[in-house]
Amino acid sequence: MLKYIAKRILYIIFVFFIMSIIMFGIFKMVPGDPAAMAIKDVPKTDPVVYQQKYDAARERLGLDKPIPVQYVSWITKMLSGDFGYSESYRNDVINIVKEPMGNTIFINIFNVVAALLITIPLGIVQAVKKHSKFDNVVQVGTIVGYSLPSFIVSLVAIYFFAIKLQIFPVSGMNTPGFSGTGWEKFLDKMYHFALPLIVMTVASLGSMTRFVRAAMIEALSMDYIRTARAKGLTEKVVIYSHAFRNALLPIITLIIGWFLGIFGGSVVIEQIFGLNGLGKLLYTSLQAQDYNVVLALNMFYFVIAIVGNLITDLSYGLVDPRVKIN
Amino acid sequence: MSKNSKKKSTLSLIFSRLLFGQKERVETSVLEEEQVHSPMKTIVRNFKNNKLSMTGLIIFVTMFLIVFIGPNFLKLDLSYQEVTQQNIAPTSSLMKVPSKLKGHVKQIAIGSTFSVGLSDDGKVYTWGKPKEKMIKTMPSQEEMGKVVQIAAGLDHALALNSEGKLFSWGNDRFHLGSLPLDVQGVTNIKQIAAGYQFSIIVTDDGKAFGWGNTNVIDFNVGKYQGQIDKVVVASSGVIGLTKDGKVISLMTKENGYSRIPQDLGKVVDIASTSNAIAAVGDDGKVTVWGNITKNVDKVPQIDGKVVSIAAGRYHFTAITDDGKTYSWGANNFKQSTVPSSIQKADVKAVFSGYYQNYAITKDGSVLTWGLKGYVFGSDGMGRDMLTRLISGGRLTMTIGAIAVIISTIIGVTIGGISGYYGGKIDMFLMRLQEVVAGIPFLPFAMILSAIVGNRISETQRIALIMVILGLLSWPSLCRLVRAQVFAEREKEFVTAAKAMGVKENLIVFKHILPNVISVIIVNATLDFASAMLTESTLSYLGFGVIEPNPTWGNMLNGSNSGVVIQEYWWRWVIPAVALGLATICINIIGDGLRDAIDPKSQER
Repeated sequence: MLKYIAKRILYIIFVFFIMSIIMFGIFKMVPGDPAAMAIKDVPKTDPVVYQQKYDAARERLGLDKPIPVQYVSWITKMLSGDFGYSESYRNDVINIVKEPMGNTIFINIFNVVAALLITIPLGIVQAVKKHSKFDNVVQVGTIVGYSLPSFIVSLVAIYFFAIKLQIFPVSGMNTPGFSGTGWEKFLDKMYHFALPLIVMTVASLGSMTRFVRAAMIEALSMDYIRTARAKGLTEKVVIYSHAFRNALLPIITLIIGWFLGIFGGSVVIEQIFGLNGLGKLLYTSLQAQDYNVVLALNMFYFVIAIVGNLITDLSYGLVDPRVKIN
Repeated sequence: MSKNSKKKSTLSLIFSRLLFGQKERVETSVLEEEQVHSPMKTIVRNFKNNKLSMTGLIIFVTMFLIVFIGPNFLKLDLSYQEVTQQNIAPTSSLMKVPSKLKGHVKQIAIGSTFSVGLSDDGKVYTWGKPKEKMIKTMPSQEEMGKVVQIAAGLDHALALNSEGKLFSWGNDRFHLGSLPLDVQGVTNIKQIAAGYQFSIIVTDDGKAFGWGNTNVIDFNVGKYQGQIDKVVVASSGVIGLTKDGKVISLMTKENGYSRIPQDLGKVVDIASTSNAIAAVGDDGKVTVWGNITKNVDKVPQIDGKVVSIAAGRYHFTAITDDGKTYSWGANNFKQSTVPSSIQKADVKAVFSGYYQNYAITKDGSVLTWGLKGYVFGSDGMGRDMLTRLISGGRLTMTIGAIAVIISTIIGVTIGGISGYYGGKIDMFLMRLQEVVAGIPFLPFAMILSAIVGNRISETQRIALIMVILGLLSWPSLCRLVRAQVFAEREKEFVTAAKAMGVKENLIVFKHILPNVISVIIVNATLDFASAMLTESTLSYLGFGVIEPNPTWGNMLNGSNSGVVIQEYWWRWVIPAVALGLATICINIIGDGLRDAIDPKSQER
């Protein structure tokens, strides 16, 4: 097991470097001259002085060195937590990212938990009662669910719940000018988070339910289920203890892959509902061409993806003893 | 083999035995006796039996045909914008004259999205799609009494009653909704005119007063005060006609309208489109000047003498002394194509404005031609939603299809090689696949499109989106193909091929791949839907295809505000339904195909 983990970690470091090289390459393609940007306050009236300052800026930013050297200095900075300075926010990137990151992680974890609480029971019931009317209706419903992009679900939800029924606010993080105790503030925030969270959960039900159903049907068709039934075990024990445990393996893979996916996908939800999350930050930074922030955010998304991959592999090992052998 | 056909074949066998005796039976071959279907046939039959997927297929094929054939009929003009036609709800009744008005029309005034009609007995009717404010602020019939003249502008209207009292309603910008002090006392009004945010009255004694958006129209009567007979309002100018038939400019500044041709002679009627003026001389000749666009100066060959002329936003309509009607100018809504029924009719008067024409025949009936309305409404820039929806669908589907083709080719090639050769090649390709699969799709695509996309042309940008989608979405298919090839390569026919000395590459792509083609097709179908979704999401966020090129995603781009979601529902509901329907159908087809190819998957 230890050898397996070590191998995976080694591999992941390798992948991280490849991805960072790709990112660095893209970052180098950004139009504009960073050195000229850095000294934009210097008047161009005296070309000699300007040139001197320009060269100084190039040297300070390390732009005069060959590309591989630039990459090494850049990645060392990144790894030590120095993500550079944001021009549009006039602050260090690391300070800007903190709060949105908390929000994004919160809504994504909430989404995963809420979606699992719904989809796992639903998928199991479907699998047990397969080809019943209930199953068929849910199957069609899930096709519709995963065929609709989240922005359409959002628009429909805003129309009905925020505009027609006026249960939830249209967008924003908190009521403007709201003051109260910490608990009241939290409640107000949750009130604003409610609709996006519902939308996110609903939008992610489709594919998840189908997957749980398929995994459960697969597990239920195994011989050990027949054995369990023949032993006279109650149906409950057969389904939840024997079948579901074995269906868990593919489900875990999916959950993690999907968890990574929604981190990227929450860009849309955050943008539509005006939530101060990483997705919205990415969006506004791209609009403002604030590429230091963009780069830091992408490195975050990469790290999430890589860590997710690692967790998938490790949990495979934990859930399925056969994996350890190879 | 279904039970039915089995029954039939046994029946026919018995029947033939009865008729022809035992001999016949010997001649039936094995294939005839036990009907064998090719796998393809079985798949098609299974698919056909699935009602849900057949419905999906029919709907999708219909949409596909509409979207790919439609743009040939509804041509998309990318640079087209029209301020006066913004946010019109779906309608086809912009020219539907109320039945009460039919038969006794005195006058019809046409505004941007509505028409106001006046009956012989002085009643005012409004139809089309007037803005809400227009309906709210309109004075009641009792208040106005017997109305004798009406006028309509962009989003306001004027009415003059028999006592010489003037009413103004509609949008209140530039105080158009109320009357200025120097107009309130006037009782001898002869003509009222309304234009693009401007109102003008002309009195019996030849005086003209104007009010409204003076930033655009620098109205100035000057020395002609007291001689004016008629005025016309263009989008940024006012032209008058004096009592002795001379055309004059009623503006301080010189511009295209004020460069009045010298040789007009005595003018009997004038009319103005948004940018050009036309004058009819007493010899019946039409002269056009101003800022000429959209062929408004291409006056057709007119038989007879023109007696009066009317103008829409970019077209003119003239009638001759023998009741013939001629139209010329822009024809994007068929507003300058006079229908043959009207060419034959004896027309007494014609009222034109914006994109509509109403011709009143001598027997009192009202004939119309021009813009009936927008079936799916118009968007925030005044463009027809239907045209954009169809062209947008073509772009969305094309991008999705090409992205899928790219990802399928990469996925099949890499998966095939990886699965067949195994070992180090497999190891390397699988790591590569994992790297690509690990890239967070949406943020990465947004960055690429933002950084690379803003220095290339729009066509290249669309190509870039296809390539990004294709390059990032092959890993799942690759894994699938690899697993399938893995299983297939152990089978006997591969050993046989090897023994015959077939080249390894040929074995992979010619012998093994056909056996896994069904998996590829199903996957490509499902990927097609997800590529369309991803493109739409990117375009919706503004990082995919950008305006003015339409896709179903970027048509929804403007609807990210409470006002649009609530007030202009057609702007988001219609593209959303189109996109949703297409992806649902594709996914249903993909699901049905999977069930048809692998009946076991249904059992599971």
